Amino acid sequence: MRHFFLGICLLFSAFLFAQNTYSIRGTIKDLKNGETLLGATAYLKGTTNGAVTNEYGFFSITAPKGQYTLVISYMGYEDLVKEITLNTDQTLNFEIKESSTQLNEIVIKAEESERVSIKKPQMSVSKLNAATIKQIPAVLGEVDVIKSIQMLPGVTNSGEGTGGFHVRGGAVDQNLVLLDEAIIYNTSHFFGFFSVFNSDAIKNIKLYKGDIPAKFGGRVSSVLDVRQKDGNSKDFALTGGLGLISSRLAAEGPLSDRGSFLVAGRASYAHLFMPALEDIKDDKISFYDLNLKTNYEINKNNRVYLSGYFGRDIFDLSKIVKNKYGNTSGNLRWNHVFNDKLFSNVSLIYSKYDYQVILDFIQLDWIADIKNYNLKYDFGYYVNEKLKLDFGFSGILYNLNPGEVKPTTESSPINYLKLEQKRAFESGLYISAEHKLTNKLTAQYGLRYSRFSRLGGQTLTNYVNNKPVIYNSALGIYEEGEASGETFYKKSESIKTFDNFEPRLGMSYQLNESSSVKASYTKSSQYLHLLSNTTAVTPLDVWAPSGTYIKPQLSNQYAIGYYKNFKDNVYSLELETYYKTTKNRIDYVDGSNLIGTNTIETEILNGKSRAYGLEVLVRKNKGKFTGWLAYTISKSEQKTLGGKAGGPGINKGDWYNTAYDRTHDFSITGIYKLNNKWSFSSNLVFQTGRPVTYPNGQYEYEGLSIASYSGRNQDRLPAYHRLDISAIYSPNKRPDKRWKGEWVFGLYNAYNRKNAASISFGQNENTGRNEATRTAVFGIIPSITYNFKF
Amino acid sequence: MKIYIKPFLFFALTLLIISCEDVIDVDVPTAAPRLVVEASLDWEKGTIGNNQIIKLSTSTPYFDTTINNSVIGASVRVTNLDTNAEYIFVDQNNGTYTISNFAPIVNNSYTLEVIYNGETYTANETLKSVPEITRVEQSLEGGFDEELLDVSIFWDDPEDEENYYFVKFIEEGDLFTTLEDESDEFTNGNEMDEFFEKDGEDDDADHLQEFVPGDVVDISLYGISERYYNYIQLLIEQYDSNGDPFSATPAEIRGNCINISNTENYAFGYFRLSEYDTVNHTFQ
Repeated sequence: MRHFFLGICLLFSAFLFAQNTYSIRGTIKDLKNGETLLGATAYLKGTTNGAVTNEYGFFSITAPKGQYTLVISYMGYEDLVKEITLNTDQTLNFEIKESSTQLNEIVIKAEESERVSIKKPQMSVSKLNAATIKQIPAVLGEVDVIKSIQMLPGVTNSGEGTGGFHVRGGAVDQNLVLLDEAIIYNTSHFFGFFSVFNSDAIKNIKLYKGDIPAKFGGRVSSVLDVRQKDGNSKDFALTGGLGLISSRLAAEGPLSDRGSFLVAGRASYAHLFMPALEDIKDDKISFYDLNLKTNYEINKNNRVYLSGYFGRDIFDLSKIVKNKYGNTSGNLRWNHVFNDKLFSNVSLIYSKYDYQVILDFIQLDWIADIKNYNLKYDFGYYVNEKLKLDFGFSGILYNLNPGEVKPTTESSPINYLKLEQKRAFESGLYISAEHKLTNKLTAQYGLRYSRFSRLGGQTLTNYVNNKPVIYNSALGIYEEGEASGETFYKKSESIKTFDNFEPRLGMSYQLNESSSVKASYTKSSQYLHLLSNTTAVTPLDVWAPSGTYIKPQLSNQYAIGYYKNFKDNVYSLELETYYKTTKNRIDYVDGSNLIGTNTIETEILNGKSRAYGLEVLVRKNKGKFTGWLAYTISKSEQKTLGGKAGGPGINKGDWYNTAYDRTHDFSITGIYKLNNKWSFSSNLVFQTGRPVTYPNGQYEYEGLSIASYSGRNQDRLPAYHRLDISAIYSPNKRPDKRWKGEWVFGLYNAYNRKNAASISFGQNENTGRNEATRTAVFGIIPSITYNFKF
Repeated sequence: MKIYIKPFLFFALTLLIISCEDVIDVDVPTAAPRLVVEASLDWEKGTIGNNQIIKLSTSTPYFDTTINNSVIGASVRVTNLDTNAEYIFVDQNNGTYTISNFAPIVNNSYTLEVIYNGETYTANETLKSVPEITRVEQSLEGGFDEELLDVSIFWDDPEDEENYYFVKFIEEGDLFTTLEDESDEFTNGNEMDEFFEKDGEDDDADHLQEFVPGDVVDISLYGISERYYNYIQLLIEQYDSNGDPFSATPAEIRGNCINISNTENYAFGYFRLSEYDTVNHTFQ
């Protein structure tokens, strides 16, 4: 291991002794509000020397001594051109101006300047910024990051009214979701009706569907990297919105002349969902969240950031259940520029997800949480015009409390119980290079070394023959293995340690000025697993760390793509195909109970999954009419053999659909700007129905009609489709007025399609006949929101 | 180590608030029929338990309404493995097989043998005892809704063993029995209870109307084995919640009846032996 890194360092150090070159470094910001721009380009005209700003707006370019024209550009902004004489290392900071909107057009600022992305080896990445997300029609007028990314190819959901998202046939828990680098364990409010990301506090999101850079690790399917705004460093500003379901308010402004802050809050109105139902008038369903960010520039080379998030969902169905859950996160960062070529950032991150359920009628109080502390140190080394290196390390300490049960009253029949606490330490070490091999061929290659130790401080159950699950061949069912005793592990002990090398490789070959092909390979590992035997992810699902009985998931993904810009970058086409395999993907055995058990290993079998597909994305980036068309054809399957437990495994050991397999997934998003006052947008979605298990017969038992079933996920819900429309009216466009307001009118599911969120089978209570009942979550939903800026 | 919280229960409720439901036509697959064994040898506390019935039928397509599927001509035999006593059940030619000299003994093991269509099915089970129902109470305070009448039964869980229970509840005139499962996992040695309440939300259905004084209900508490508990818990869960996105994906429920002639052609149903206590309550 050590030798490998040493070798790489030696190799790269050869480039360091280049002749007579100088560097320009600096940051690129928005002129109006001082927000740093990530993904903006600085390049020297007429050369191939250029750089893209990192997450903190930092860039560094190296070139031989000489006279140059430096161009700063960013999609949706006016180019800034500066003549420079490069005869010494220098620091230049730029502020660029948003393109004026007099042209009656909208520019999707999703892509960095195309002349770079055609060349860049990074593929399988989708970017959206807050301005684009706000254009997409949203249910109940609440702008939603998670729903927006589902409009992109390769990304789907598990049905309306469910949380999370699926990337390229992967499960919800295989997505690494980061909010300012902090891990977010549950991305939704109201079970997926809304996302936890407040669009007023978000600067930029990036979704890596594959070709995941070596600096990310710990999940095998995707990385959703969400960055909060830094806050307006020029002026104090208020942004807000009043909607039917929730309202938002964000305040931002400068802190002396060296920093800025942002505080944003959002809260729902508790009772709106249930106006008509007399029975539940005392009940409350609500959510709120709070975002905070502040940064301060100590000097030219040092800047600190503090960001935080706190969100909560509250369900108080007074007669039945009280339920609270939410994420909490905080991140303290220090950017340090060592010199013109070496940028660094150290982050100290805390995040937590917890939930509480109180069931009054059985006098039970249930609490569970997952916490982690994370230290990260990342470096960006701009070696020369051909090579940029990223390297760093991270360590994450996890503390999982899978559940504590308390009686709520003295007379409760419930006895106190605390499930075993689980602890683990995950570390990562990485180096990756972006290397311009020739004028047309660029590579991004790297290696991540990850290590995971399940720590002691708990008792583990041992099983006869080391089999936590056994196959009862007479009855044809999987049963809990027979316990043979327990082992207590001291806190200082490590129960089990895993490590993996994860190579990452991406190549880009430029065919001509406007088109390129790219290919990538990603190996990744995942040490934490979310166990769920339900179709939809629930807030109660249990995160389980790898250990004696659960192995880490290991995934290989191969992807190739073709990219072309048409008509002066007005249109773009992206075609990608991928093949992904994952080892050690666990699945639950039939009839398992996953909640509230210390011995989850007795309910699961170890399997593997595979997914493959083709994605097409056509965009129109400029003009009065903008938008995109996304189509994915794909397959996602799992195979789970009996293995050590014996027997055929799940579904007789055959491949079966994952619950999120969608053969076809098609969407069109269009945004039309009529004039300065009105703009319209619409999206149309069509998806193959999700796999479900339907009954294949019935029999009478205890006087009831009991359904029998065949294999898992062999049937499908009807196809899902809907059309949404929204209109934005901005009455006041006078630039001298500080108050700017806009009305957003929305119509979700405009033709009132009753999409089945689920179909349940059961006996009619009056006739006793079996019938199928469709549950449709959203019919046509009109909405109106007023947004303002001051 | 398990506690069973039904997440679907309250998530489903939440969804219901803003969703709409309708009955639709769905094409479902059809599997070949299987034998269904409903061999519930239930022994009421304080009786001799001589008279027992075993029902045999076959499964049908899911939406079939004409259920003419009684199994006639099978041979049915139960053996007490501790005493070697044999009990031959007599075919009544209507799908039931009966006996009038069965001798139930707590904690004895029994085996069932059914020969049907030339194939032999067997099952083993132990007869479990049950504590008595100590009292029955009706109230407004218990249950989900404080404005509705509910009824509870109470019993004392024995401390020195793991106990599993099965509760059957029916109001006179109802179409269906309500089934519940209980274990003493978190309540070992405590007084346990089970309550019933009807919410009366569905105005069209008489039997769903909330309890009113004069209503008569029967409640029975069964002592069951751990395996039967796992079986009936799954059966109840799937019966109550099938298709709900927050419930577990449904799966075939396998009982304890094995086809020793042809393993793949296993039977549905269960061979259960339980002592039970029963109460009859008239709402005041």
